[in-house]
Amino acid sequence: MSRSDESLTQLERNAKLVLEESVRRIDGRTRSRLNQARHAALAAAGARRRAWWASFTLMPAAGAVAAALLVAVVLWHREPAGTAPMALDAPHATAAEDMDLLTDNDSIDLMEGWDGSFYEWAAAQSDAGAESNT
Amino acid sequence: MPEFATLASPYSMPAALHGDVDLTDPEQQTQTRALNQFLAGVELKAFKIAQAALRHEDDALDAVQDAMLQLARAYSDRPPEEWKPLFYRILENRIRDMQRRRTVRGRIMAWLPVRGEDDDEEFDPVAQAPSLEPQPVRRLELDEAVGALEQALERLPRRQQQAFLLRTLEGLDVAETARAMGCSEGSVKTHYFRALQTLRAQLGELYL
Repeated sequence: MSRSDESLTQLERNAKLVLEESVRRIDGRTRSRLNQARHAALAAAGARRRAWWASFTLMPAAGAVAAALLVAVVLWHREPAGTAPMALDAPHATAAEDMDLLTDNDSIDLMEGWDGSFYEWAAAQSDAGAESNT
Repeated sequence: MPEFATLASPYSMPAALHGDVDLTDPEQQTQTRALNQFLAGVELKAFKIAQAALRHEDDALDAVQDAMLQLARAYSDRPPEEWKPLFYRILENRIRDMQRRRTVRGRIMAWLPVRGEDDDEEFDPVAQAPSLEPQPVRRLELDEAVGALEQALERLPRRQQQAFLLRTLEGLDVAETARAMGCSEGSVKTHYFRALQTLRAQLGELYL
């Protein structure tokens, strides 16, 4: 990094000595102010690093908020008609069939026009058929 | 006295600022120590370089302070071997800004009544404190040499002055000087060679 003294000319060597001497002569007030400036710079570097870490510690909270917002938006915009039919288990399936019967107009008409004689006649016919076969 | 408890000591600033640095993290501790060491190593030379360019002590101090802060804020996480060229690049930009501002201020002040510069200067015991100095004869020789070199340096064109001080005082090589000055290595060599020629013509080979 620094240049070796052998490669310097006499003028360069002398100039270096004189400049170093002038640096040594810098007064106490200036040295004190430079010292304060250095410590202020070190404090600024420390504050910068702390700010960086603080942004890191806030990341989980920010992520949680972002995830909650995402879920809320997805639920808000979900189309009920567009969803796939869900498979139902047995008790729920029976209930669904009952609902289907109740809402079916043909079934209601059949119940309203109840004719018991027809069913009795049909049962008798099937019994008679069985006896004649034997 | 509870009312005096809130008063800060004038010497408390560095300690308080140290307290702001989290010293529990070893990696951070190492980096802070490295940065402190680096800045302590360059601050006096940087001040001389800024003073040669600006010819004003307070402006030079401000420029060095700004450069330190900028390096610490923006580049302290860079590898330490990159700090020196970066620091001097920042310092050079600050010096240039101040010179521009001074030119504008000079144009404005030319229209205003003149006021003495040292009117409100107070006695500063720290500035007047004696320091360790060489023997009187040697000191006289050094005084003359320092004065002659500083005057010759002030007369150099800015880029030549910068190349000479970065190479001779700070000991940067050509590549580092080029990075610090924001120019090619060829330009650095040219500026440095011309600076040497001018100084040799003014000071001679053995002026010390």
